[in-house]
Amino acid sequence: MQFNFNEDSRSKFKWGILVLLLAILCTLPLWAPEYFVMVFMLIFLYMALGQMWNLLAGYTGLVSLGQQIFIGLGGYSLAVITELYDLPMLLGLFVGGVISVIFALVISQPIFKMRGVYFTIGTWIAAEALAVFFSNWTYVRSGQGFNITASYDLTTVDIYYIALVVGIGSVALVYFLLRSRLGLALMAMRDNESAAETMGIELYKTKLKCFLISAFVTGVAGGALYLSIAYIQPFAAYSIDWTVAMVFMVIIGGIGTLEGPIIGAVVYVVLKQFLYDYPGISMIILGVLAVAIILIAPKGIMGTLHDRYGIEFLSARRRSKDVESAA
Amino acid sequence: MEIIQSVLNGILLGGLYSGDLVIVSTFLCMIIAAQVTGSLLLALVITICFMAVIGFLLQNFLINKVLDKGDEPPLLVTFGVSIFLSNVLLLLFGADARSIQSPITSSNVISSNLVSVSAVYLLNFVVAVLVIGALHYVMKYTYFGRSIRATSNDVTAAELMGVNTKRIYSYTMCLAMASAAIAGLLVGMTFVFYPSTGTQYLIIAFGVVVIGGMGSLLGTLVGGVILGLAQLLGAYFFGAGYQLLAGYIVLLIILTIKPEGLLSTAARK
Repeated sequence: MQFNFNEDSRSKFKWGILVLLLAILCTLPLWAPEYFVMVFMLIFLYMALGQMWNLLAGYTGLVSLGQQIFIGLGGYSLAVITELYDLPMLLGLFVGGVISVIFALVISQPIFKMRGVYFTIGTWIAAEALAVFFSNWTYVRSGQGFNITASYDLTTVDIYYIALVVGIGSVALVYFLLRSRLGLALMAMRDNESAAETMGIELYKTKLKCFLISAFVTGVAGGALYLSIAYIQPFAAYSIDWTVAMVFMVIIGGIGTLEGPIIGAVVYVVLKQFLYDYPGISMIILGVLAVAIILIAPKGIMGTLHDRYGIEFLSARRRSKDVESAA
Repeated sequence: MEIIQSVLNGILLGGLYSGDLVIVSTFLCMIIAAQVTGSLLLALVITICFMAVIGFLLQNFLINKVLDKGDEPPLLVTFGVSIFLSNVLLLLFGADARSIQSPITSSNVISSNLVSVSAVYLLNFVVAVLVIGALHYVMKYTYFGRSIRATSNDVTAAELMGVNTKRIYSYTMCLAMASAAIAGLLVGMTFVFYPSTGTQYLIIAFGVVVIGGMGSLLGTLVGGVILGLAQLLGAYFFGAGYQLLAGYIVLLIILTIKPEGLLSTAARK
């Protein structure tokens, strides 16, 4: 149930909380212990990854199991730029995003011809192929990999701020994206693809845009993750485990909701840290949790809360006032 | 021997865990043979029964429940189960490479200077042909096989003709699991294996089916040969490191040009 009275003060209250939250997160390294900062850094980076997988699977209907392609490309771009060419680290992150977009553009041609399960497996095969290719490519030192020495000078706090920008940025990006024309097109497509096409929405272009956006952000987030890992190796960079994390986070948090990946990232990272010494067990728990959620509450934590109690922090829907001003 | 198992995958479109179930049966065979029976054949029989029951339960109580909710939920459920299984195996057996030892694994049928054919490879081939033959018979000449084909062609039409499609899915899963158990033993005898090998077999199995065309048994054989050849040629021309890559690339190309498979029934319409 939504309360409709006093819409204005309600939205002011909401923005107030968001600004306060942002202020707390920005000053976190000043008062919180370093371990805490590290956990939040991971949450932000995984949040960005989850948000991007959600944009594809939850809004665009492209269930990809090949997002690790862009993590690997992002990480390797960072390594090559800083190790082989001695260029600044931030350039490496950016180049990682750009190379991810280029690669996404190249594989979109063949891969968009596949539908449903074929698309899913197709993206996965592309990632496995890249892993094999990189492990044989001498330019990136084959299977030996890189030590990313540029990250040695960085403190956890530095990486935290990068992660903060990437994480909050990804949420904001998806938020405004869904409220734009593209977002309306996506929702129309989700409800009825052929009706949307009749109304003049170009399905291919819309899907491609989302695919490219998700490639860019995943590439940058991948680079940032490798700043904290500091060592890259092909089979770890292109491992399906990355996408497993995204899938579990989004399912648990709520597929097709903006807040879902945020909650999912918190659950995922906290559980992983809590069971740090038993890496298998956290994956087993998450697997059982994800399957149970699909069976019992297919919309995840956030979707269920929204359906039952009308709780929604970041609405993808525009209110009538916004629609009028946009039109 | 992936071929055998892929045949049924084609019917159970959307299952992402076949590879992991093969590895589960490999481990099961190994444990039962070593601890309980001492004989691989007896272990295989037990594994087949066990896997068939597991397959039925999985399909009946997990996947059939989400089947009506669109394409993604069944896919994600099987994915979740697959990750669960591989991590349980990792926890129980560790990440070490293992192999199943038996007199067959180390002997050769023909060994001369020019050619040598190992007994395991011959066994794989014979079993593959036998299983495909048996499946072909079931699919073509029994009521059960006809209802499987009807279900995979058109669920609604099959239901109108009185086929309980969900029941059929569950039984097909039993059949798939039984062949996964056979494939599992052969994989264990032929190669070294570890808990995370499942992924590789999933991709190979899926690839074979895709190349050949879903639901086409002859296509599955052809797909297996094409993928095998691609890998051999890739290794020959570009070096051993590129063996897997060549297979993947051929697979991606075929997926792009002809997603419904080279010998699919759809193409013949």
